[in-house]
Amino acid sequence: MYPAPIEQYSRPSTLEELYSLLDSNEEDILVLAGGQSAMQAVKSRMLRPAHIIDLQALSELKFVTSEKGLLTVGAMTRYVDIVSSDSIPLELIALKDAASRVGDRQVRNRGTIGGSLCWNYSAACTPVTVLALDGAMNLISPDGSTRQVAADDFFLGPLETARNEFEILLSVDFKLRGSKSGSAYKKWGLVTDALPVIGIAACLHFDNTDCCDYARITLTGLSGAQRCLEAEASLLSTTANTEEIAEAMMIVCSKIPTYTDSMATADYRYQLIKTIGLEVIEIAKKRAFGLG
Amino acid sequence: MAKVAIDINGRLFQEEVPERMLLVDFIRERAHLTGTHIGCTYEGVCGACTVHLDGEAVKSCMLLAAQADEHKITTVEGLAPDGELTPLQEAFKSEHGLQCGFCTAGILMNMTDFLKRYPNPSEQEIKKGLIGNLCRCTGYVHIINAVRKVVQENQLRKT
Ligand SMILES: Cc1cc2nc3c(=O)[nH]c(=O)nc-3n(C[C@H](O)[C@H](O)[C@H](O)COP(=O)(O)OP(=O)(O)OC[C@H]3O[C@@H](n4cnc5c(N)ncnc54)[C@H](O)[C@@H]3O)c2cc1C
Ligand code: FES
Ligand code: FES
Repeated sequence: MYPAPIEQYSRPSTLEELYSLLDSNEEDILVLAGGQSAMQAVKSRMLRPAHIIDLQALSELKFVTSEKGLLTVGAMTRYVDIVSSDSIPLELIALKDAASRVGDRQVRNRGTIGGSLCWNYSAACTPVTVLALDGAMNLISPDGSTRQVAADDFFLGPLETARNEFEILLSVDFKLRGSKSGSAYKKWGLVTDALPVIGIAACLHFDNTDCCDYARITLTGLSGAQRCLEAEASLLSTTANTEEIAEAMMIVCSKIPTYTDSMATADYRYQLIKTIGLEVIEIAKKRAFGLG
Repeated sequence: MAKVAIDINGRLFQEEVPERMLLVDFIRERAHLTGTHIGCTYEGVCGACTVHLDGEAVKSCMLLAAQADEHKITTVEGLAPDGELTPLQEAFKSEHGLQCGFCTAGILMNMTDFLKRYPNPSEQEIKKGLIGNLCRCTGYVHIINAVRKVVQENQLRKT
């Protein structure tokens, strides 16, 4: 399918160039990262941008660094780069769980972490994982002012984020919690590595008596990435054994409504939440203790 | 209009194109290389349009031609420029890895990149590598056999 007419294509190679392009009073600008969601919208004419600003040449947004207890991932880092990065510490390995299962290898060769977070599709792998890992988005406005927005405040609902129209996501920060931390992400979709019908991510930390003192459990597929706060609370001060995790997932099911559509019945979705939730939290726990 | 200079299979195409032109249409209609196919509408799910962008497999229907300006593209026609088939192409022939052939160019491009990165994949890894390419004829078994044949030949050559 052919996109609607586009008047201008720009490919800034520095952030300064990018800001000056964004600074004009132009409407209908579309910033393009890997294009793996945006081009679907452009081709279907759901989006009809007059000016496309391609971020591909901004090499300063392509990096993964880990230092002083902080992992930072540049917005233009592709899924394939996340999967092959040596800088991602074991406790944040859920990022690799998610990136390695997005779509297919052609999509992973183009799609970026920043694009996925800014698009925030209702059933996407990256937002739910970044929410579980308590990521923080580093945003910049064309006037040069910057702000950091925690994942809890960034994802507002399907296709909506706290990013202002001309703000650019520069990178995502993740705090490291040190030993006895573990994370995991898993999904189930209609075909292998498809968009999830249900996807769950978890991040746990255990204290020196091996009790859980930090838990974030997040869910996607129903209405975007969401926290499972009551289930998280129920795991605190437990050892997160199988019964306790199963109980936590029962709490999720009692709090969150599901629905029936062509992909799954409401009951099947509950079954998926219980099964995937148990698996993911057990994997995260094993990883926290260096066993998985 | 945008001016582009795109290297396709070692030949430079310098053209003026509408900004909205997709790379796959540039390849087919400007470079007249029709081995690259279009098998879906806006979704980018079928993989028939897979080419190499600077050596990596990507779907050319998900890119504007303008995005490929100053980049190198390889299409299926570029795999065997002198007419001598690559081992993967030979294996598709001998293992009956195609029937109608509509998906084949995309699969060859994806698997050529895949084998470069993973020279000794398991059958499971090959299957996972093929997720981005739909084939409506073969049932994939012969495609997987063709890829495995190349892997086996490479291993034999090493020992
Ligand atoms: C066949 C196929 C299968 C897929 N399967 C999955 C899957 O299983 N799981 C999954 O999660 N996703 C899947 N996706 C979607 C994929 O993950 C996309 O890559 C991702 O959603 C968007 O990232 P992108 O880099 O391609 O961004 P783009 O599509 O280029 O951009 C997306 C949006 O973000 C904005 N944007 C991008 N970068 C920035 C930035 N730095 N600052 C501000 N705004 C920005 C753009 O303006 C645009 O609105 C699939 C896509 C396809 C085509
Ligand atoms: S034409 Fe189907 S993925 Fe490009
Ligand atoms: S051989 Fe016909 S679609 Fe694959």
